[in-house]
Amino acid sequence: MISDLFEELESEVEKCISCGFCESVCPTLPAAGYDLWKGARGRVIMGKELLSAAKGNGTLNVSDSFYSCLDCHACLYVCPAGVNAGKVSHISKSIIAGDGIPGNQNPLARMIAMVTMHYMNPLGIGEKCAGWFTGMKADPDSTDLLYTGNMYQLMAYTDGMNRMRERMGKGMSKMMSSLIARFPGLIRLAPMKKDEATALKMDSTLSNIALLLRKSGISFNYLAEDEPYPGTFIYDLGYLDLFEQYARKVAKILRDSGARRIITVDPHTYDLLKNTYPKYVEGFDLEVVHYLDLIDGSSFSSGSESITYHEPCHFSLRQDAYNRPLETLRSVASVSLPPRSGRRTKCCGGPDELIFPELTHRVSQNRYDELRDTGAGKIVTACPICFSNLNKGPEVVEIGDYLASRLKN
Amino acid sequence: MDHLKGLSQILGSNLIIEREQKIPYMTDASYYQGDLPMAVALPDTPEQISKVMRYCQENSIPVVARGGGTALTGSSIPLKDMLVISLARFDRILEVHPEDRYAIVEPGVKLDSLNQHLEKFGFFYPPDPASSIAATVGGSISTNAGGLRASMYGTTKNWILGLEVVLPDGNLITTGGKVLKRTAGYDLTALMVGAEGTLGIITKAIVKIWPIVESKGRILAYYDSIEKVGSSISELKGKGITPLIAEFLDKITMHSLSQTRGLKFPEDANYMLIIDIASTKESIGRELNQAEEILKKFYPISTEITTDQEAMDRIYEARKGAYSSLLSERSSMSERVVIGDIVVPASELPNALRESEEKVKKYSLTVALFGHISDGNIHANIYADIADQDHMNRVESFQHDFAMIAIRHGGSVSAEHGVGLEKKELLKMELEETNNQHVMEIMRSIRKAFDPNGIMNRGKMFDQ
Repeated sequence: MISDLFEELESEVEKCISCGFCESVCPTLPAAGYDLWKGARGRVIMGKELLSAAKGNGTLNVSDSFYSCLDCHACLYVCPAGVNAGKVSHISKSIIAGDGIPGNQNPLARMIAMVTMHYMNPLGIGEKCAGWFTGMKADPDSTDLLYTGNMYQLMAYTDGMNRMRERMGKGMSKMMSSLIARFPGLIRLAPMKKDEATALKMDSTLSNIALLLRKSGISFNYLAEDEPYPGTFIYDLGYLDLFEQYARKVAKILRDSGARRIITVDPHTYDLLKNTYPKYVEGFDLEVVHYLDLIDGSSFSSGSESITYHEPCHFSLRQDAYNRPLETLRSVASVSLPPRSGRRTKCCGGPDELIFPELTHRVSQNRYDELRDTGAGKIVTACPICFSNLNKGPEVVEIGDYLASRLKN
Repeated sequence: MDHLKGLSQILGSNLIIEREQKIPYMTDASYYQGDLPMAVALPDTPEQISKVMRYCQENSIPVVARGGGTALTGSSIPLKDMLVISLARFDRILEVHPEDRYAIVEPGVKLDSLNQHLEKFGFFYPPDPASSIAATVGGSISTNAGGLRASMYGTTKNWILGLEVVLPDGNLITTGGKVLKRTAGYDLTALMVGAEGTLGIITKAIVKIWPIVESKGRILAYYDSIEKVGSSISELKGKGITPLIAEFLDKITMHSLSQTRGLKFPEDANYMLIIDIASTKESIGRELNQAEEILKKFYPISTEITTDQEAMDRIYEARKGAYSSLLSERSSMSERVVIGDIVVPASELPNALRESEEKVKKYSLTVALFGHISDGNIHANIYADIADQDHMNRVESFQHDFAMIAIRHGGSVSAEHGVGLEKKELLKMELEETNNQHVMEIMRSIRKAFDPNGIMNRGKMFDQ
């Protein structure tokens, strides 16, 4: 209900005294050239404005303020009053998506939500996402389901999509997005260019994850072409009613596969299934784990190579910090963390990539520089989005690949 | 000529004119709400600021400079038709010279960021207002910010060696320099400190830096009465001990920190004293014990000593966020927190604190007291119901009486937050009560000498 969202928004923004502590950790503020409405405090202030506008006090064009939020929640951990500016953005996006404040819909966000609803994949390419598994065999009798959520596979298309939008220009891109939102089938006509090198890299990482599981004695099922995308975008972009329907469908597919335990491979899917699905899917009782929970530590050779680890927001800044990747890395290498780490980790910029690619580029360059400044020989990521955005040099490696390289013969 | 067009010719895309984008600039950390600015400039060079100031001077456009937007008196919010000049893009640390004890920094650098950088050299910049995570070098110079460590190191004015400033007419000047001593004419650097952007716009600062203390430890002491807190700190200082930090919190503040930060305090404690002692590794234990013995003379409910860095950081951060945490204790959504900020000589503290409590009772207000007790700085955080005029009148009367306590005890109506909009009347009162009206005339003359058209932060500090 949209009225519930307004209430929730009010109770969050009213806690704010506007001290500005949140601005000091918000990655988008400096990346946006310190344009305050694209920073954490600015978003809370705009949340108050949104409430006022909704009560009939004038019009408001506020969409970019909230859609530029990376939803990393770094602001929450420095706020003395416990205000979560990320939550303010999410509620506001949900109000916008639900037409609670007219004239603010983001056409691209709407297009992504509609295409995902139609194809169970944000780009309508679900059937192309199982290529990495060619030559491997699933175990249909296993109650363990390896669930990639198509996340690694989608990374090969983001650059191409952004280039296409650039070529079209803002106006045309908006028009096309609105059209595709109405007729999702049109997405298949778009010349969606795949980046072959990224695709190969991502396929190889997924193969290495499968290898790590097998080496640890885990036999798993995999839905291949039938694997649905988990709905992360629909939720993050604020289409909550659609997300509820979508999550139910996904949960049914997962359950019908005979799975009891879902093995996720990326932080977004892990967080969504573990923390959000239970709120939207009644009786969601599948066990959700990350593949590193199942990896046998004794299968690695230990070493003292100097590495740094970029902690993903959805592991470190959510309810329960998930530290298994860091613990695993510490068992095989000498890990030094950048100054922004743990509860103060800094986002790679990835969640903005489709809507504000330039902002993403600046945030990711900034984070990459911080990681490189640690002087470590390798920068290890544990998320396909983080990897894609931070992959600015040969020293950046995915945790699945890194751990596979440390397997004992 | 359309001023937006004129400014945009100077600033290009560094000028914000859309209504929604300008809205966040109407707010700082005070309870004041500013007006929608005519535009927001986000310059990235001093030359650009010079051109903007020249244009504003020629066209009588009032301007307000903005740092981290953490001011507590409304000094950084725009009033009618003002141009906001944000210094946020001046965010570089340019030079660090430990051997000469100075660093050169741009005004948009946040204080905590500066100290994180200086730590690599084994040095630090002592001024640490509670908002140091968000407050900037330029903003803290403009308000002569104090903070927790002012107990030992004094306020910002003690740490500024030189400045680069764009004057209201667009001229760029440098004041002071890279040396620790300098007596060459009027001290224009000192004049700029605490000027709240009324004399010019700071574009660079040469700040003094200091070696990080070798070792520190903390004493936490809990009391049932405020006089005991005041007497403890007076005795401590009287015995020659200068704490690195000496903070006190009252019960409301402690409760808000337990709500928002999960900190635990003894149930029967009405006041808490946080004392940090800095020393060498060899003598820190002895000095902590010595200080604790002095505190014990005033019958605290309990005391404890810690040198655990993590525990110390947790309390330090919680104390720094106390102002914001207090909002969790309000009784209605229309209540705001108005933070009072007075200073008295440390020896006057016991009486000043007692009198402050009496005034709280007199006006039937809810007021959370905390402050930097070692230098006599008391913050009275008043819960002000902006929807209730009678309540607001009582808040105003309390502010007046609270300021009078400071004046009567030989202190000041503003310790470290500046004047801004909030204390214009109180500043006048302080000068009148101390028979110093002529000082206001001198201040007006100085302002006029720098800014004859009165475009700099018009309406703040005092009326021209």
